[in-house]
Amino acid sequence: MTARPDTGAPGRLHLEKLFAARLHAVRARPYLATALFAVHVVESARVPTMAVDRHWRCYVSPTFVDRTSEEVLASVWVHEVSHLLRDHARRGDRVMRTLDLDGPGDRLRINLAADCEINDDAFGEGLVRPADAVYPHTLGLPPDGLMEEYVRMFSIGTEHQELVWLECGSGADGLDRAWDLGPDGAHGLSDQERDLVRFRVAEAIRARPGDTPAGWRRWADRAFHPPQPWRELLGAAVRAAVAGAGSGDDYSYGRPPRRATSLPGVVLPSLRRRPPRVAVVVDTSGSVSDSELGTALLETAAIVRAVGGRRDLVSVVSCDAAAQYVQRVAGEGGLALIGGGGTDLREGFAAALRLRPAPDVVVVLTDGQTPWPSRRPPCRTVVGLFGRHAHVREHDPDYRPDGPPEWARVVRLS
Amino acid sequence: MPSANRIAVADQLLTLLRQSTTEPRRDLQIEALTLAVAADLPVLLWGEPGIGKTAALTQLAAELDLPLTTVIASVHEPSDFAGLPVIGADPANQGVPLAPPDWAVRLAEQGRGLLFLDELSTAPPAVQAALLRLVLERRIGALQLPPGVRIVAAANPRASAADGWELSAPLANRFVHLDWVHDAEVVVRGLGGVWPRAELPRLDPERLAAAVEFGRRAVCGLLTVRPELTHRIPTAESRRGRAWPSPRSWEMTVRLAAFASAAGADREVLSLLVRGTVGDGPGLELLAAVDRMDLPAPEDLLADPAAAVLPRRGDLRQTVLDGVVAAVRGRPSRERWDAAWALMARALEDGAPDVLVVPVTTLASLRQDDWEVPELIDRFAGALKLSRRAETSAARVATTAGRRR
Repeated sequence: MTARPDTGAPGRLHLEKLFAARLHAVRARPYLATALFAVHVVESARVPTMAVDRHWRCYVSPTFVDRTSEEVLASVWVHEVSHLLRDHARRGDRVMRTLDLDGPGDRLRINLAADCEINDDAFGEGLVRPADAVYPHTLGLPPDGLMEEYVRMFSIGTEHQELVWLECGSGADGLDRAWDLGPDGAHGLSDQERDLVRFRVAEAIRARPGDTPAGWRRWADRAFHPPQPWRELLGAAVRAAVAGAGSGDDYSYGRPPRRATSLPGVVLPSLRRRPPRVAVVVDTSGSVSDSELGTALLETAAIVRAVGGRRDLVSVVSCDAAAQYVQRVAGEGGLALIGGGGTDLREGFAAALRLRPAPDVVVVLTDGQTPWPSRRPPCRTVVGLFGRHAHVREHDPDYRPDGPPEWARVVRLS
Repeated sequence: MPSANRIAVADQLLTLLRQSTTEPRRDLQIEALTLAVAADLPVLLWGEPGIGKTAALTQLAAELDLPLTTVIASVHEPSDFAGLPVIGADPANQGVPLAPPDWAVRLAEQGRGLLFLDELSTAPPAVQAALLRLVLERRIGALQLPPGVRIVAAANPRASAADGWELSAPLANRFVHLDWVHDAEVVVRGLGGVWPRAELPRLDPERLAAAVEFGRRAVCGLLTVRPELTHRIPTAESRRGRAWPSPRSWEMTVRLAAFASAAGADREVLSLLVRGTVGDGPGLELLAAVDRMDLPAPEDLLADPAAAVLPRRGDLRQTVLDGVVAAVRGRPSRERWDAAWALMARALEDGAPDVLVVPVTTLASLRQDDWEVPELIDRFAGALKLSRRAETSAARVATTAGRRR
């Protein structure tokens, strides 16, 4: 970080104002301090306002600083740094590839979508809301979305003409700009340094989650633990539970193993599979939506059938405050899920374990707002947890619902 | 043309197609792989099917001049790795030995080689359990693999493995996990006949002792302040089967850090290796600790402020200056306080002033009654004005917000 930027007419940039604004931003958002201070300022008359590149340089237009107040500049600082922290350049590249987009119009779309992701809870609490910033409602979009979701929801039309001035640089959408100093320019941050700054900021947010907006908390949770495809995870968890020793596998002397020919006179036991029995306990209380349950249940049943190969080995228990209803997935007809109101999954576990023959694996689908059995059941347990409910209650930041017990394999379904 | 000739021509064409050359090329993942192989730690390459993991291994074996043995783990039975019981003449007295498979015998006879265990993640749990012993103890049945054998494995990520098992936590903990992604440019060059060359890292004999010291200091320094990172089995479903911190994987980290240091490897390569050994979170914390090790120590700076070299990046600079102020607070004296002011003045010469506001205000608050205000304090007027400006603009935001309500 130098006081004197490297390019452009020296001394034209009103540094005192720019740095006072940064200090304002640091005081309003202390958890972003590392990122704000790590950015290197480059004066540039070619940028319309302020813009960032992939290497964490911030290009600043002197005239923009002159005509903008400190408090608005502070908000712009936070906005630009948010693009960097949220890795919009790399994510933008990925979106361009997956949606098969090309051209500057589409990059503008990515910049707008990225702005929506940032702006819906970036301002307020000590930062002004810049009047000309783009918010999800500006584009008629719902709040709390991710850039990837927003990009799919609108296309660039004539009504966005007045937004075309908007320009956050290659750090916001991944398209290299004429003024970028590029990877070899001075004072850029390497991949590893960028990751470290992101990590510090994420740790700062996780240390005091109560003070931070929900959008930043979500980001910090995902920054180094990106959400995983839950279908694959649920599949792998159920497969692992079903395949583990003690469920379905056993040694038997019923049939000789293929290696027996090399050992005449010796009878070796061989590994034989007995298809596992699976009980799926479904939380049918009011807080879980029908469509979520439907998808997750179909998915589980499909996995279980694929593993065991026999539908008659799968039972489904509907459970709200009391275990309601036990079914086999034998017929082709759909499953009836009955319930509503509160949940007590202990009833569901008890009902599943009462099944005869006893299940080898219990799969539980729930939103987690329930008491859990205090003791480990005598079989493997996979919990599919609907992750819609925020972990933090606004009025009680210390509140944590009881998590699923340690002995269960937990997959978050989102 | 007789058909024998036609086959000969086809063979000629195939020979031509097979000819390729190599070029030295900066490739972080290959550097990380060769360093881990040089450090004699088992490596696990995670990558989508068909992106050239096998090709990379073939190149690596050729470069290191090691014979390559490929074993597809998923098509073997547990007894192929644990050894097959063979009954001798007198089992009651001699017991039943466990015979190793032929490839293992050949590998042991050669004395050196690269053992490539492919498709590890699709091997059933019982086979993985048998592989544990192979990877950890380098034993296959009754056979001990010689020290010259290096082990590399490959696995498909769960999202793409159609019916993959997951790696058990104990097996995952024995590997350095590297994500293998393909670089389109490398693939295009390769199909054109030029592959990147993996070079065995050149370890600097002068730096060996310093490298060991570096590795130990980095890991022990972190674990002293964060003992809870010593052992943490992953609970999140998405992290299962990947790297996680345990005394074993930290020991591997010490070794890798020492090798990376002796080879003068880039920080990016160290990052790949460390995060692949203890996982992302602990790995990043270690790298942050290494970064702090690189920063000048507060006591050195206080001892000679005139010679101080401060980091250029604002966040690191603030960390250093905060450390200096904390050192003065811990053991206050007039000389140390003055030295700290001299450091702040230096920082003001070549850096942004907003970074200085917090350390300068804290330092000022440490003044004791009989200490005179140093003359150079006037130079901080600019920084303090900055602070007032920021306060004013924050106050403007507060009043606007108040009016709106």
